[in-house]
Amino acid sequence: MKGFVPLVLGIFGTFAFSWMGLILIPNLQIGHLDPQMDEEGTDVYPAPKSGMADRGGKIYAANGCIYCHSQQVRADYAASDIDRKWGARRSAPRDYVFARPVLLGKMRMGPDLSNIGKRAPSEEENASPAPSASPAGSPVPAASPAKAPPAASPANPSASSAPAASASPKPANSPAASTSPAAAAASPAVSPSPAPSAPPAGANRASPAKASPAASPAPSAASSAPAASLAPKPANSPAASTSPAAAAASPAGSQASAESSPPAAGANPTPATQGASVAARPPGSPAGVEAKPGEPPPYSAAWHHRHLYSPRSFSIDSDMPAYRFLYERRSIGSEPSADALELTGRDAPPAGWEIVPTYDAQCLVAYLMSLDQSHPLKEVKSPAAAGSPAVVPPASPAAAPPASPAASPAAGKGTK
Amino acid sequence: MDATEIPLKPPSVPTDVPTSDVEPIERALIDASTRVPVLMFYTSAIVWLLIGTLLAGFVSIKLHEPDMFSGVSFLTWGRLRPAHMNVMVYGWASMAGMGTAIWLMARLCRTVLRHPLLLVAGGGFWNFGVLLGVGGILAGDSTGYQWLEFPPYAAIVLFVAYSLIISWAVLMFRFRRGDQIYITQWYLLGAFLWFPWVYGATQVMLFVVPVQGVMQSAVTWWFANNLLFLWLGAIGLGTAYYMIPKVIGRPVYSYHLATIGFWTYALFSSWTGMQRLVDGPFPAWMITASIAATILTIIPVATVGLNHHMTMQGYFPLLRYSPTLRFTVFGAISYTVFSAVGVLISLRSVARYVNFTQASIAYSHLGLYAFFTMVMFGSMYYIVPRLVGREWRYASLIKLHFWASVYGVGLMTLMLLPGGFLQGANMENPSLAFSESTQTILPYLRGRSLAGLLMTVAHFIFAFHFGLMLLGLGRTSSVPTFLNPVEAEGSEEHL
Repeated sequence: MKGFVPLVLGIFGTFAFSWMGLILIPNLQIGHLDPQMDEEGTDVYPAPKSGMADRGGKIYAANGCIYCHSQQVRADYAASDIDRKWGARRSAPRDYVFARPVLLGKMRMGPDLSNIGKRAPSEEENASPAPSASPAGSPVPAASPAKAPPAASPANPSASSAPAASASPKPANSPAASTSPAAAAASPAVSPSPAPSAPPAGANRASPAKASPAASPAPSAASSAPAASLAPKPANSPAASTSPAAAAASPAGSQASAESSPPAAGANPTPATQGASVAARPPGSPAGVEAKPGEPPPYSAAWHHRHLYSPRSFSIDSDMPAYRFLYERRSIGSEPSADALELTGRDAPPAGWEIVPTYDAQCLVAYLMSLDQSHPLKEVKSPAAAGSPAVVPPASPAAAPPASPAASPAAGKGTK
Repeated sequence: MDATEIPLKPPSVPTDVPTSDVEPIERALIDASTRVPVLMFYTSAIVWLLIGTLLAGFVSIKLHEPDMFSGVSFLTWGRLRPAHMNVMVYGWASMAGMGTAIWLMARLCRTVLRHPLLLVAGGGFWNFGVLLGVGGILAGDSTGYQWLEFPPYAAIVLFVAYSLIISWAVLMFRFRRGDQIYITQWYLLGAFLWFPWVYGATQVMLFVVPVQGVMQSAVTWWFANNLLFLWLGAIGLGTAYYMIPKVIGRPVYSYHLATIGFWTYALFSSWTGMQRLVDGPFPAWMITASIAATILTIIPVATVGLNHHMTMQGYFPLLRYSPTLRFTVFGAISYTVFSAVGVLISLRSVARYVNFTQASIAYSHLGLYAFFTMVMFGSMYYIVPRLVGREWRYASLIKLHFWASVYGVGLMTLMLLPGGFLQGANMENPSLAFSESTQTILPYLRGRSLAGLLMTVAHFIFAFHFGLMLLGLGRTSSVPTFLNPVEAEGSEEHL
């Protein structure tokens, strides 16, 4: 080859070609997205993170959490992320418009965290009494919505004709729990409470357009499963389990309730099989993360603190490093700090001492609690709508957190 | 052919440049002019290599012993890992690559290096930048962008340092003698021009005028792949194109193949990168484009591989004697393996399983270690004796270095590739708890630590040997150090 100029031109040309194709054009396509909102300009998603959560994101980056934890849910046809309850729908570029740095991750030595905040107990007050009430684990459904594939519910075969599916029963993990009558009794009791509490929250983010279809089908759901008003419990009482509040509300057209008292498996014509399949393969369900007596409910702030301080106090198999340098050991003053970690065994500080989170640790947990991609996006089809009915039902009972408004995405989508 | 005569005859220039009587003297002058900067780059590189190796040890062991040093912030795994990665890429690989590239450029342009001390200053700045960056990462200042964890203040220092270095390399090109531009020069010139564009554009898009949301990830992986292919990869291939013909004393098999290989390499490998984001929150076409480009890199890989193979044809027995050739050929073969693995794991059906697993670590090490680092070792075995005027002292240490490196990186690949596939298969099976997938990989990670131990041994041996050379303790001889005694009768007069 002769000549300096053609060589340099070629070198520059290939570089420019690649830059244009992989950076410039994609940036035109997805580099200037706005948050999504409904017609009234409410229900904005995503929203910028709070100051603490934002700082927590930097701490997450600085301490290399990204080298083991991804924050992206792949589509149901591409991978089993959704089956793992890491999210109810795939992640989309719009989910990250405020993320800086964006922490998609490239390795999963730990589980995906895109929706870890969503999986937290929706309200700490609700959650904390629950475990104490029935330590056996029945509270968990309420407390640990675990992974929330809301979605699923619409998947029932009749979904197209009777989107009713969104009427919602009682979630999930409880199937296992429901075997004990006491638990079964307890959970219905729980479910109403989230329902009322949720609507206010849901109201401002509502997606009326989508919710309303859900409302009309509700009756049909009821017809197919007359028992609807009763508490559900897929496992042993296959009856469709719409929570009464939700059932009543949705025909009325109040989208808020339809959205906020989600999904659940309920109206599905084949609850029995659903329940069975759930029971058969609990592994997919968050069994591993159920709160044990004396432990904070999974994915609550207290849980995260203790997990960061001593990961193996929850799971002996965990390969996560401990982040003790984010915590401070100090002697107890006049009275213990409110945010002191509750530690047992080897981890517990000597008497007279307590372990408290530093500000960095609090920010990091605030960041984790803020991770939530469950809000529906116009451009993302829910797996429920796309997926085959056969696949989805098992997921639905297992998952849906009762009180979370967010779960509705799927419902909204599916019924649209 | 008689294998013994080959390494012993004076190396012939692999280009079409006419030879003349003054050539040996001219070469000696050129070598002398590059002595200080190149040795300075090499020394820095090797020091960084040792630091990076120690960091790697921590990273590897802590992965299966997570409770080690959990109370010390700068020894947390999430900081050690990027520190290791960046030390290796910017400290070791880039420094070694620039050292070799400067020397090759001077030799091929047949011009003495002017003002070598300015290059030394550039190298000093670069070291300072890497130090600043690694310190920043360990202190908790990492940016969180993979391959770009150095905080922006360190990146600025690197960029200034690089500008100093590159301008000298390009200046040499300006003063070159002869019309022909040899293949190695294409690659080196490409690397020297690509790096600042890619690095500069990325820094601007991430820190000065940040792009929105997921585009940051697209920019990051575009950068990472271009750094791997167009910066380090180009230097590695260019070096192999020089060393192989040089050592065996035979011109490159085909210039036409080389031309095709170079331009398809530039075109296709620069389009890869997005395949690492497969099924992520991006328009599918971006990812598909990169997967297609990755598959198309088979063309440059095949042409380059064929070219090297045909050049080596009949000369393979020399691998028994020449350290340079042995390291370089191993690197060149690894380049083919690396690319094949790259194609394999970029396919959607495979990526579904391996995308978030240790298999991608195996892939990185195949590229950065089995290919690039081995080629760099080879070039150092060739260049250093010409700079210090001594020959390598112990053939046994070179052999030990070679085999420990080969077994180390081989074992690592054998552990992490299948381990990654198993990890991914378990991860993709939702009826297994997630922790099953991480439990599955644990034995493989322990095996990887063993592989790391082998590589650590290799690096310390090499550093020791290099230190002897620096101190002038090499052999005084006009004959290079061979890995095995040259038995044939013709060689005796030289020995």
